[in-house]
Amino acid sequence: MPIVSVQGVSKRFGAVTVLDGVDFAFRAGEVTGLVGENGAGKSTLIKILAGAETPTAGSVVLGGEQLPSTTGDVIAAGLSVIYQELTDVPDMTLLDNVLLGNLSSRGGLTRRGENRRRAKAGLSRVGLGELDLRTPIRDLTISQRQLAEIARCLVRDTRVLILDEPTSSLPERDVETLLSVVRTLRDEGIAILYVTHHLDELFDVADRVVVLRDGNLVGDQPIGQWDEPSLVRSMLAKELEQAYPWRPRDVGEPALVTRGLVARGVKDTSIHADRGEVVGLVGLAGSGRTELMKAVGGVAHVVSGEVSVAGRRVRTGSIAAARSAGVVYVPEDRKAEGLVLDASVRSNIAMGDYAPVSRRGLLRSGVMTRRAQEITSKYDVKLGSVHQEIGKLSGGNQQKVIVGRVSEMSPRVVLFDDPTRGVDIGAKSGIYEHVFTLAEKGSAVMVCSSDTDEVLAVADRVYVLAAGRVVGEFARGSFDREKILHLAAGGSAVSEPPA
Amino acid sequence: MSRTSHPQPTPQPQERPVSTATQSSPWRHQVERALSSNIAPIVAALIIVSVALSFMSDVFLTSSNLTNIVTQSAVVGIAAVGATFVIITSGIDLSVGATMALAGFLGAQLAHHSDSGWLGLLAVMGVAVLVGAFNGFSVAWLGLAPFIVTLAVMGMARGLTLQFSQGESVYDLPSTLNWLGSADLAGLKVSAIVTVLLFLVGHLLLSRTTFGHRVYAVGGNADAARLAGINVKGVIFSTYVIAAVCAGVAAIVLVGRLDSATPNAATGTELQVIAAVVIGGTSLFGGKGSMIGTLVGVLLIGVINNGLTLLNVSSFWVQFVQGALIFLAVLLDSFNTGRLKRAATS
Repeated sequence: MPIVSVQGVSKRFGAVTVLDGVDFAFRAGEVTGLVGENGAGKSTLIKILAGAETPTAGSVVLGGEQLPSTTGDVIAAGLSVIYQELTDVPDMTLLDNVLLGNLSSRGGLTRRGENRRRAKAGLSRVGLGELDLRTPIRDLTISQRQLAEIARCLVRDTRVLILDEPTSSLPERDVETLLSVVRTLRDEGIAILYVTHHLDELFDVADRVVVLRDGNLVGDQPIGQWDEPSLVRSMLAKELEQAYPWRPRDVGEPALVTRGLVARGVKDTSIHADRGEVVGLVGLAGSGRTELMKAVGGVAHVVSGEVSVAGRRVRTGSIAAARSAGVVYVPEDRKAEGLVLDASVRSNIAMGDYAPVSRRGLLRSGVMTRRAQEITSKYDVKLGSVHQEIGKLSGGNQQKVIVGRVSEMSPRVVLFDDPTRGVDIGAKSGIYEHVFTLAEKGSAVMVCSSDTDEVLAVADRVYVLAAGRVVGEFARGSFDREKILHLAAGGSAVSEPPA
Repeated sequence: MSRTSHPQPTPQPQERPVSTATQSSPWRHQVERALSSNIAPIVAALIIVSVALSFMSDVFLTSSNLTNIVTQSAVVGIAAVGATFVIITSGIDLSVGATMALAGFLGAQLAHHSDSGWLGLLAVMGVAVLVGAFNGFSVAWLGLAPFIVTLAVMGMARGLTLQFSQGESVYDLPSTLNWLGSADLAGLKVSAIVTVLLFLVGHLLLSRTTFGHRVYAVGGNADAARLAGINVKGVIFSTYVIAAVCAGVAAIVLVGRLDSATPNAATGTELQVIAAVVIGGTSLFGGKGSMIGTLVGVLLIGVINNGLTLLNVSSFWVQFVQGALIFLAVLLDSFNTGRLKRAATS
């Protein structure tokens, strides 16, 4: 008897059908994986299950009864969603966060002992039983905070847990912890819907996988009957020959050189990137990948050391100076730092790069529109019109707009900080295709990613970072995944300079 | 919702049906945008209120009354041009009224004693720019909250005005100083002409220049704007200086109209200014808004004020109505930006 069954659910927004007669069910004591490209309808399905959207047709049954129609009632009925972004209150304590909106009280006074006991019980189920309940939650790591969020659901007697991309902001070493908590909860009899882009996690933890494509349910089988190629095929409806179309390139003289760079999170770092080269930065979260890129891009303050571009020293700590030297930093969090989500695609493309679309400070509206149309078509952005809000595009398409905007500046050095974060496999290869084209035109490209295998697949050469230092350097010919991961995890320093 | 592409061996600009949609006439697009924008309901409100008033009062539709509305709206309108820039960056300037009083008083006093209208004009603008620079510096470089900074400056400016004036007004001003606020040109009030011109300049600056685009970008997402190479602090600073320059011009109009400068001049004007801007569809959350919207907002407030006077409604009610208008505008803003929906469902 399934605890949740989705029965013929369809959702239309205007003329667009996002979900089309989706039918599936999941059971207590099982982990059901849900995969699909961006835009396949996963988020809408989650919103419907959470009570935040009402289906246009069909219905959802939770524990034999109709799913309530408001988010609060859905939670009370025992279904909780853990979203990609944390929803805790950073300044409150662990105790207050775990019992958020749910403190026991008598006569208006909170029952301290009772509350502590309940919070402790919830936290021990996710392996955090040892933490001090008085710790402000902002002092915990991201993965601890995420587990605390799960504990919050458990305290509310959740029977169904939906995890939406739970590992997207976790460092690699914490993924296993989360997966083992997921297994424990499953064994305790909770029904879990696990939504992810990371197929390897599914083979680790899921009992069954369902696949959405263009709003239709196109696959629903026990995990034993799937393998990675068949999953990808089902998601994309075609074989993914080569996810990252790497090809050899001519590498020229050094474009970017840093000497003894010291900044927050960066210690005495000397690296270089050459014309036409794609250089990867490999490192765990906190290794200084992002910090190094920000220091080079003029975004972060540099304590000492120097940055040179094409043989000339660049003033550090100034985005304007970096820009005029041809260095562009593309931030990790495109929604928070890359785009104005409410503004049009056209406006986002023009932002900060007015030379091609203005004359003496006056904008040329026609040129802006034409240029936006050219760039979006050249970079395969799927959209209705360049006047539409960029926030309405899928993550992959938003990223393509950013890649297009940056590429058209013909920069000497581009620093891509996790360019495929939250982007599905199909769009990833499209994005790297353009990154390679950019390198072929002579830019030096630096890339980092939370997915080490992705960096190894696209880079000509990688630096391994640990605790703010470069602890290894490998050329593509001598990539050794095990050794690189060992170094990144803090193993002894070995360097194999490029042959 | 769009589908993401399948991996392709090489990027090829392809013929796609969607691209034809993007090439449809820009006019049609502008009309569509105007209809779907925040301005449509406020234009409708202006028309409805005007039609209603023309039935309720015989005087309302006379040309002298309509001219009167525009002239009466000049002070708030000019200040609202500047406030639009500030509010689009998601800032706020509560010091506009106090700045007008301080700059207007000091300029008038200097003009009165030196008997030089030009010196007075220069002093008004100089004082206003200083106040604006102080606001802008505090918000942009010291990172202080605009609401608090400008509230503090409002207090300081009012205090300085009272101290310098000892509560006394200045009369007998040179005609050069009064010209902007009182003179007629080709049958129209100079102040009305200047208001219209400033709206036009503000509109062009916002919609047609790279500076205007930067203002929207900073308000839409300051982090993204900074990383896109925009000098965010410079942009924020400029908007407060623009707001103060407009307040200076408004002060000159006010002084000229009354042929005097009083220390309590323009009390509460900042609320009317903010109301006009927000009613006109500029979002307090930043990133959205237009000068045309502000113009309609100013006119709506002017028409309502005028109507209440024509209908002999007590001035206490006038204040209530203005407060209620601000509330409605903020509610509309919240509704438009979707926050209401999110707040209601969470």
